[in-house]
Order: sequence, then C-alpha cells, then structure tokens
Amino acid sequence: MTTPDSVQLPERQIGRALNRLESRAKVTGRAEYIHNLVLPRMLYGKIFRSNTAHGRIVDIDVSAARAMEGVFGVYTGEDILRVIPNPYFGPAFHDQPILALDKVRYIGEPVAVVLAEDPHIAEEATHLIIAQYEEMAAVFDEVEAASSSVIVHETLKPAGTFPDLKHLAGRSNTNVALDFQLRRGDVDAAFASADHVFDHTFRTQQVMHTPLEPIVSVAEPEHDSITIHTASQSPSFVRIEMARLLGWQENQVRVRTALLGGGFGAKLYIKLEALVTALALLARRPVKIALTMEEQFFTITKHATTVRIQTAVTNDGRITGRKCEVWWNGGAYADIGPRVTQKSGFTASGPYDIDNVSIDSYAVYTNLPPAGAFRGFGIPQVVWPYESQADIIARALRIDPVQFRRQNILREGRPHATGTPMHDAAIDLVLERVAERMQWNAPFERGAGTLRRGRGIGIGFKALVAPTTSVAMVNLGGDGSCIIYSSTVDMGQGSDTAMALIAGEVLGIAAEKIKVVHPDTDVTPYDMATLGSRSTFHMGHAVRLAAEDALAQMRALAEEYGMSAEGVINAGTLLRKKYGMPAGNIVGTGSFIPSYTSPDHETGQSPNITPNWMVGGCGVEVEVDTDTGHFRLLRFENVVDCGTPINPKVVDSQISGAAIMQLGLSLFERMEFDENGQLRNGSFAEYKIPGIHDIPNNIGRETVDAYQGNGPFGAKGVGESATFGVASAIAEAIEDAVGVRLTSLPLTPEAVYRALCAARNEPLPEE
Amino acid sequence: MIPFELARPSSLQEAIALLDPEDPDIRPLGGGTAVMLMMKAGVLRPTRLVSLGGIEPSYAALSVAPNGELHIGGLTRLAALEHSPLVKAGWPVLARTLRTLSNVRVRHVATVGGNLAHADPHMDLPPVLTALGARVTITGPRGERTIAAEDLCTGYYETVLARNELISRVVVPAQAQRPAAYMKVTTRAAHDWPALGVAVVLDMEGDVIRNASVIVGAATDKPTRMAAAEAVLRGARADDATLRRAGEAGAAELDIVGDPHGSASYKKHLLTVYLARAVRLALDQSARKDYA
Repeated sequence: MTTPDSVQLPERQIGRALNRLESRAKVTGRAEYIHNLVLPRMLYGKIFRSNTAHGRIVDIDVSAARAMEGVFGVYTGEDILRVIPNPYFGPAFHDQPILALDKVRYIGEPVAVVLAEDPHIAEEATHLIIAQYEEMAAVFDEVEAASSSVIVHETLKPAGTFPDLKHLAGRSNTNVALDFQLRRGDVDAAFASADHVFDHTFRTQQVMHTPLEPIVSVAEPEHDSITIHTASQSPSFVRIEMARLLGWQENQVRVRTALLGGGFGAKLYIKLEALVTALALLARRPVKIALTMEEQFFTITKHATTVRIQTAVTNDGRITGRKCEVWWNGGAYADIGPRVTQKSGFTASGPYDIDNVSIDSYAVYTNLPPAGAFRGFGIPQVVWPYESQADIIARALRIDPVQFRRQNILREGRPHATGTPMHDAAIDLVLERVAERMQWNAPFERGAGTLRRGRGIGIGFKALVAPTTSVAMVNLGGDGSCIIYSSTVDMGQGSDTAMALIAGEVLGIAAEKIKVVHPDTDVTPYDMATLGSRSTFHMGHAVRLAAEDALAQMRALAEEYGMSAEGVINAGTLLRKKYGMPAGNIVGTGSFIPSYTSPDHETGQSPNITPNWMVGGCGVEVEVDTDTGHFRLLRFENVVDCGTPINPKVVDSQISGAAIMQLGLSLFERMEFDENGQLRNGSFAEYKIPGIHDIPNNIGRETVDAYQGNGPFGAKGVGESATFGVASAIAEAIEDAVGVRLTSLPLTPEAVYRALCAARNEPLPEE
Repeated sequence: MIPFELARPSSLQEAIALLDPEDPDIRPLGGGTAVMLMMKAGVLRPTRLVSLGGIEPSYAALSVAPNGELHIGGLTRLAALEHSPLVKAGWPVLARTLRTLSNVRVRHVATVGGNLAHADPHMDLPPVLTALGARVTITGPRGERTIAAEDLCTGYYETVLARNELISRVVVPAQAQRPAAYMKVTTRAAHDWPALGVAVVLDMEGDVIRNASVIVGAATDKPTRMAAAEAVLRGARADDATLRRAGEAGAAELDIVGDPHGSASYKKHLLTVYLARAVRLALDQSARKDYA
C-alpha cells in the first residue's frame, strides 16, 4: 500500500493497468514466503525415497540413521499409523499413503523421513537408511497399463467428494481410475458416409511445473490443534482433508499461506502437509520439509498422454464426425488426474461444431511419479492433437488452415459436443485476430537454400471447472479503510491486485489503498482453491458481492443518520456518526457458486456443463535449418478472450508467461525414464526450461474485445489461455517450412532432422 | 551436506601444502561454480575446501609476452579474459567463445584454471585452447611443469593433475591472424550444455589450408583432435566438396554414444555440418577482419 495522499482516485478501478500491490515488497526481498519461515524448536525433515518402481516392502532398516549424532528421529509409514491410523489421502481417490505402506509404486516415492535440527544432518542420515523390496513387475506406458495384468492399486478407492466418481468404488484389477465417455449423434453413420476419414495418434510427454519456490510446508503442533504454514494453492482443501485424516473438527486445523513463488498446479491438495503434520504430532515439535527443486520431479508432474483422434470430413471441408480416445498417464497416485480426465476430456473434439462426437477419456495408473493439475488442466494435451489434425486435414483437402477453422468453429448459441450452447466464447474473434496479427493473407517469404520458413496457427478453449465455491469478506474500519479477506492465493498471478481493483470499483476506493489478507483458514473464509483460472471469476464475484453488501449497509446507515446515500460513501464518516468516535466496522460478506448440471453418465451430455469458456489462439513463424533440423521462432503471436481485462498489465504478463511456459513444454522439457522407471534427467542441468535467449524477439500479446456476460464486470480467467495453441502451431509451421509432420512432443531438432531424412528415404540410424 | 573445513591460504605454496595427493575429499576452490554444483548433487562431499581466493594476484593476471604469447594466470576470471582488450585484439576466437560460455554470472566467478582442471567434457574453452596450441603450467609441491593443453585431459572428468597440483598459468601462442572459430551446438534450451563443440584454427597460404587444427568437445569424453578431418583439409582449398569430406572423415573417426542431447548418429551428423560451418566461419571472419 502507498500512502493515501499519493493516490489519486481514478474514475474507475476496473481496467486500470496497475503494478501488483506486492511488487515493491518482492523486489526488495521483503515479501513473505513460507520457504523462509523458521520457528523456535523447529526440526527439519529430509525424505528417503524408493529406488524401486513397484515392490513389496520387506524391511526398512533405519538403525544406522537413528544412531547418527544430531538425528532427532527416523520415521516410516508404520510410525505414521500411530497418529493417523488411516493415512491415505487424495482429492479424487484416497489412494496415497503419507509414507509408503506395504508396497512402493514408483521410484522416488517417500518411504521414510529423518528429523534433525540441522537439515544437513537430516539429509546425511537419509543415506544410512537401507530398504529392501521384493520387486514386482511394473508398467509405465499409459496405453499398455490400461489393459495390463500389472496392477498398481488392487482396488479403486474414490474419495466420495465427487458424485460422478462414486460408481468406481470397489472396482478392482484395473489401472483405469476413471473412464469418462461422451456420446453425441451417430458417429458410426457419420464415418460411414464421410468423403474422407483421418486417423492419427499424438503423444505428449511427462513434465514438471518447476515453480521458483519449491514445495514447502511447516506444521506447528499446539495443545489440541495444529497450524500448518504451507505454500499451498488450496488452503481450504488442506484444512478439510487434514481434519478428515486426523478425525478432528475443521476448527482444530489452521492452514495459512503467504505469497507463493509460483504454483502452476503443483501446490494443490495435499503435498507435504499430511507428512509434516504427522511428524509434528510424533515429534511434538514444529517440523519443516522444504523440497529441493529436483525432489519435485518425484512429487507432482503433468500427465503424459496418448490421443487417438479420428475425423470424418466432407469434400468441402466440413467436419461431420469425430472420435477421440485419450489415455492420461496418471502415475502411481490419482491426485486430481480423474478430474483432468473428465474436465479436459469432454473438450477433446475441439472448439468445432460437430454433430456426431464420441469421446473416451481414461485416467490410468502407472508406476511413474504422480501427475495432476498443470497450467491448462489437461487442455494443452488435447489441443495438440485436435489442432494438429485440423492442419493435416486442411493440407489434405487443400484448404487454407484459417479458412478450414472458420468453416467449422463453434459460434454463439451453437451446441458444444456436451450439448451445452456456447455463449460469450469469442472463438471466431480470437481466430481472426491471430490471422490478422500474422498478416495471414499477405505474401510470405519462405526462405531459400537450407533455411526455410513456415507458419502455423492454432486455437483452443477450456471450460471453467465447475461447480466450485468462493466466499469473501470486506471489512471497512473506523477510518473508512478497507481490508479484503479471501482465501485466493497470490502465487504470482496478481490476484491480490485484481481483488483490490474489484472491491475498489464497488466502494470507490483506489486499489492501492486496500489491504488483502493472505489465506489463513482461521481468518479468511472458504475458497475451493486457486486453480484452473477460476479466481477472477469466482472470487471476483464473491469480493464484488461482499463489497456490495458493505455498500448496502453503508447506504442503510446513511439513511438512518440522514446523510446522502448517493455516490461514494465514506465508512469512517458513518461509523464516527454511529459510535461518536472512530470505532466499529462494517463487514460485508459475499459467496458465489455458479449454476451447473452434471453430465449424464452414459452420454456426457449436459445443458450447462460450464459457466464460461476461456479461449486462446497462437500464431508462429519458424525458420528451419534443413541441414540439422534446428529451428527458431521468428514470430510468436498470442491472442486470448478473457472478457474484460481487470488489470491489463497483469493480463499481458499472464499471456506472455503462459505462452513462454508452453514453448518450453513444446520444445525442450521432457522427463526421461529408463526401462526400470528411474528418472534419468532429474536435474536442471539435464532438464531444460526456456531461458531468455529462447524467447522469440517478436512476441505479441492481445486480448480481444469481448465481454463475459456472467462474469464480474465482464471478466473471466486468463492464466492458462495462452498455452493452448502453441505446440500445434509450431508443428504446423515446421511442416509448412519443410514438409514433415511431428506427432510427439517435445519438437526437437533431432526429430525434425530424422523426419527430413525419412521423407527423402535416407533414414538416420536409430543409435 | 555435512560441515567441512574451508581453508584460506594466502600463497600458492601454502594452498598446495593444504591439498592431499591421496584424499579425494580435499579440493581446491577457485570460482566454485562447479564445486558447488557437485556438492549440491551429492557427488562431492568434501572434508576440506582450499580457497584460492586469497593467493597472490599475480595468478590472476593477463599479459602478452615479448614473443607474442598470451599469459593467463590460472585464477583469471573468465569475464576478465572475455573483456580484455589484449584478448579481443590478438585472440578474437577466445573473446567470441567466452560470450556464449555458460552465462554472465558464471563467467564473472569461474576461473580459467578451474575451468580446465574440472575436465567436464562439455566445457567450451578446452577445445579452443587446444586448437590454438596452448600450454598449461602446473604447480605442485616439487615446483612447476608445463604440458600441452591437449594432454591435460585423460578422460571424463579426468586429468593428468595430481590432487595437490594446481594450474598456475596458461600460455597461448599468438593467433597471429590465423582464421579460427568455435561453434557451440545446443539441441535444447539456448543455455544448455553443448551437444557438440567444434574448434578450428587454420594456417593459410593464400586460399590453401596449409594446416588445420580441429578439436571436438562435448560429444566426446575429452577434447578430441579430429586427425582424419585435419588430413583432408591439409593442402586443400575450403570448397564444398573438401568440407563435406572433412566433415565425413570427422564423423567416421568420432567415437561417441547417444545421450539426452541426441543420438550418436545425430551428433555425428551435426559434426559433419558444423565442422564445415566452423571452417567457413573462421575464413569469413578472417576475411572481414571482424575480430571483436
């Protein structure tokens, strides 16, 4: 906050291009992160991990570690049972033990923890632990695992939180944790009468979120309660899940967060919270576990996928039918994978107007590190196949790829494959703006010799995950100053500033003068989580409603004391009038849950599958070196529909941030495993994320002129939209330049060169 | 990481005395960029680090000897080499190589001696110094010895250095207008370790290559001379056919395996392309007198 005098109140708060409220604290090193938290008498935990992908635990010998000087204690899964008798957690399935019990299911799974006052001693002692496993056959590939006799979990254990997972209870001898299906029209008839049928399989790789602040939690035990300080995107969920695990009331578990050094979906649900809580109860002292950057590879990742997509098309380029089969490699524990499987699965036929659609989407257990939410919540994995195939079809039918999309995209009022009519989804506008920014119809310089140029575009959309709830409070003090209480976590996306702008808009207060309290479940009300670009829409509404509630209370007070109830009202003036001194508060509350209708179990049909659709489009120009397969992006245009940009400055960096992150996932990032399921490149010398030199000089960002009718001030989310079209646009640009098509990510120079060799019938030897 | 002793000697002899020829857990600490990475990865668990930060500044000096050779103190920071006007004028290939070596933070801390002694095959400097015919002066308890940079590395992270020997000086013969180039080839992010590094230094007689020095790094377990490629270039003009044959000869003699940067066959192919490109770049830059 700046001093009140320095702030000139603009007419409106919505739409102000404002620096984040916390920027000064961040750049001067004063911002609070749980990573830096130190408590009196605190112990540090270091995790001993499985070196076997699938095996029965025969023995864990911790005696040497326990005997090491400076070690406070060593704990295994059996010790956890003393404080949490049923230690299985998870948002969709109660399948994940706090420390491995009976068997291990992936290399890197936590098996034991050493506690010490010195983290270096704790780490040293982990090397003295010896575990013996009776090795079992393991399965790693998602398609193979779907029908394998190797079973990762003997019985499915759905959490019961989601009604549409209940039918899975008690199912056994399968690795398929969820089989979502959608059926619309008569797909077989459409294929039988099609002029052309296209059938392709596309793959994406397993990757990791790489937040700058690794996952960290601290548990502080008290008399009959516990405080968990945690870098979490979902403090309300952590409280509910920890209360369930402990058998306590929710008010005995306090969960607080600070600013997060990035989240991207890695810091959702339970990560270290259950472990530090159990250890703190066992040790009766505060316990902190801070993962290293590298340990995150063994904690949560993004699903690798295989997608088979078949499409029926008429001679003039009209899509009449589409079949999608999507296999999600969920790793050893479900985490939120089954939700990804459904919520992204139902969009797998794309933002296209297709009468006959069949989608099967499978969440599959394997013996790899667990996969969960990752910026885009599965959408980039399904855009990659449907947009790649759109380009393949357009080429085969000799139709311009922009025109092919124009002919087929979903337009206002038309039903999506779920049956839900599309509203306020500016798919057409995003497509047109990408094309215009690319100067699509202007002559294009294609290069010469060994340097060839090409271009591609792609669009994608995402249904806002529903139904979820946000609750907020707005508190006006005796001097009229304003505090917002919200459990939305600011992990770098600028949500504090967005909420201040929204409350300020209603109350007539400059955002810089508003304080936003960070999530603390003893203080801030419930919020489902900070994920899936939901906060601006859900919490934005809740904060708006809370501010409107406060405003209504002020108007009532003003009338009661015979003052003007019009325009901007100062709470301080009213409270002084009421109490005769600067005292008291005006507290407004707001809660929001959008309407939603669950899809039919057999057909996936719903008249109201989502409150809104987020849209993103991308255009790229590449230059390919035909001698080596190296390529570089010469132009990188990104356009989104986010409705009203609440804070254009932050929207702009969300677009570039999402696009650059997806660029890394499209070109470089890949967790590579050997035949035993051991990660081979679990370091940042060998797992490469983009650096400044990888970012194209020309990176365009734009929001289209659109309004989300049911959004707060016309707004909707924007954190993921610029990830959607990137990968397929690059693959198309490569084909446009040199005539080869890649169907697996990442798009490496070697893959391009190998395809070039294969195309001229001189294949490069495998090794 | 467990606690260790950090020794801070003030002379080179004192530093050498603190090292132990038999104990791999006692290491010298120059810029520390590699030592810290190894410690974080748990590969190195030292009992004592001997900091070279306090020893005589003469070991961090750069000078040109009367015979035109460049003398680089072992403790010279890479950035000092990169920005030295002497180096830019006389050894432009070194200055250019340093610009894309790791990143600006590492270059301001890492030392030339440490860079060579670490013997990580992915380093950019060793192939270039080898191609230029540099010599390395090594100081140990019994005094100095000097070897060719080419003979320093014996394998993957292995050198001829005893554990109580330090690189005190590197001497680089004058580039003397010899066309030279280094090409760093990455296959993932731009800041990645190279998949392949190719250094060439050419002795020209008119447009005929009288002699060529071609050294490959990164793809091999130590900087490796491409003798067959040099033989093809020797006495030839740098036309397309010669360069293609030189590249093919280089790929044929390259003994490598695949890794996450690329398969062996792809990296061999990259060598055929980049060996030719390095020769062309060296000649082009020389023709343009575009040294800095």
